[in-house]
Amino acid sequence: MKNTIKNIAALFLIFIFSGSLANAQGWSVPSSAKKKQNPYEATAKNISSGKKIYNLNCKSCHGDPTMANMLPLAPVAPTDLGSQNFLVQSSDGEIYYKVNKGQGAMPTFEKTLSDEDKWMVITFLRSFDKNKKERQQVAEIKNPEVTDVKLELKVNEAEKNMSAKLSGVTKTGKRVGLQGIEMSFLVKRSFGFLDVSGEDPYTNEKGDVQIQFPKDLPGDREGQVNMLVKVTDDAFYGKLEEARVVTLGVPTDPVNPLDERAMWGTRANAPIWIIVTFVGGVVGIWSVIFLVLFQMIKLPKLASKQD
Amino acid sequence: MKEETSNNSRRKFLKSFGISVGAAGVVSSFSLIGAAKAAAKKPAEMVNLLTQDGQLVQVDKNQLRPTVTEPLDELQKRGREGIPGKSFVMVIDLSKCRNARKCMAACQNHHQLRADQHHINVLQMQDAEHTAPYFMPKPCQHCDNPPCTKVCPVDATFKRQDGIVLIDNERCIGCRFCIAACPYSARIFQWTEPKDSEKYKDLTYNIEANVPQKKGTVSKCLFSADRLREDKLPSCVSSCPNGVYYFGDRNEDAVTNGTTGETVRFSKLIEENAGYTLMEELGTKPRVYYLPPKNRAFEFNGDLLNEENLH
Repeated sequence: MKNTIKNIAALFLIFIFSGSLANAQGWSVPSSAKKKQNPYEATAKNISSGKKIYNLNCKSCHGDPTMANMLPLAPVAPTDLGSQNFLVQSSDGEIYYKVNKGQGAMPTFEKTLSDEDKWMVITFLRSFDKNKKERQQVAEIKNPEVTDVKLELKVNEAEKNMSAKLSGVTKTGKRVGLQGIEMSFLVKRSFGFLDVSGEDPYTNEKGDVQIQFPKDLPGDREGQVNMLVKVTDDAFYGKLEEARVVTLGVPTDPVNPLDERAMWGTRANAPIWIIVTFVGGVVGIWSVIFLVLFQMIKLPKLASKQD
Repeated sequence: MKEETSNNSRRKFLKSFGISVGAAGVVSSFSLIGAAKAAAKKPAEMVNLLTQDGQLVQVDKNQLRPTVTEPLDELQKRGREGIPGKSFVMVIDLSKCRNARKCMAACQNHHQLRADQHHINVLQMQDAEHTAPYFMPKPCQHCDNPPCTKVCPVDATFKRQDGIVLIDNERCIGCRFCIAACPYSARIFQWTEPKDSEKYKDLTYNIEANVPQKKGTVSKCLFSADRLREDKLPSCVSSCPNGVYYFGDRNEDAVTNGTTGETVRFSKLIEENAGYTLMEELGTKPRVYYLPPKNRAFEFNGDLLNEENLH
């Protein structure tokens, strides 16, 4: 008897628990939305730009795909978007719908991300889907297997552009350029790196990529900035980067607001006219008081003289 | 006759003064020697400590010294000067705020404030009867023409070369003129013993964090000036889960988002999103910029029926 009560209680608890879970995750995606197809191909380029967008907009809650390092939010933690379970269960259209609409702690990205960006993220997530892996490989640009990958930088200060060359040594001992690899051109700022790579920072068939440095980006007094150039995705050839100080920025003299005297300044920076008026006022008032006092002292003397 | 007595009294005074100073010296030296002897004699009580490379070692308890902290003078001096060449600005994207209040919690934790004291506060705003309500985090605006520093009679609150407006609680006399002068209500007054004042009473006062807080003085947002010195983003900026805050250096024309870590051009961000400042008609020239709540990431979930929540 006791056992049956226990069992019933357990069943009941399970029922409630599963119910609340279903409620919390209760996405109602219309079937028409589920059928939507991803118009973009799963090329290496699309996947890597999807990864960039993912890292900026999704990673802070969902963590890295397949790593299950999401933010532990209550009552429902964000899903690991790289898990096979998730990828099997949701169609591209379904993910697209959820990204657009949002629910609970999940914000809506309907207007904050462009359609292309959203599909890129879905392309990136789909690259973790084991069932579709083969199809992607076909679309990728193939570089020969290489060793001793090198990154060379050239800076043209007059025209404010930079070029990088990515090359490696093939099995036959020939050095060839590596094609279709995304590069990042980053400028060091106080709290992070500013990406100045532009629209299309992929290496061409010779392994070259050239970028235009922004014409109005401030540098230090001499116009120098710290640049970091690297292969965006470490997955290809490991960590490959080069840091360099280049004179491409606009020379900027930082203005020290304390250099000029102002009303809001402390005593040391007070405007001259305030100091003059104040000191003048104090001196003037006290001298009048003293003048009156002296006159009063003189009074009895005057009186005795008159007598 | 008169002169004699006055000489006498001076001599007497000098005598007694000398004796008392001497006595005080002797007593204090005795106590010093005594303390030193006690330290040397006491049977060594050993403490287990973990070294930096992970080894467990035993150390005589008498040999232990508190960690060396920066002396007050040094902290005050560098706190007054600021970080050369910088010009800090904050950008708050109202379209992303959903009242998570993580910024407030992080701030109160950093600056040892109670839950009802705010250096930064998230307000529910509705500008007019038929306009859409939104959430607005409001820190100190670190104005370039600050009304608060103008009225301080003791030079306790001031602006530094990197644009941050700070307050020195060692100088503040608690007159609260600055609270009255600030149009943004950014300042608070410590009416009672601050939170954890017992716990932090031996801590050296840090002007760049206003800690430990002092009773009877004014306190305010400092853009976490102590963290900026280590190239870290302010507490509120880095604790936001929704990407509301950007923070950076206007001289570099770059601001970094505290959530995503993305760095963008400050001028472009303001230009493309129609950034504005609060009450610019007052001529205060704030350093905190707002992006309007357009294309929101979250629906407004506030409680507008409750009039207490409205600002």
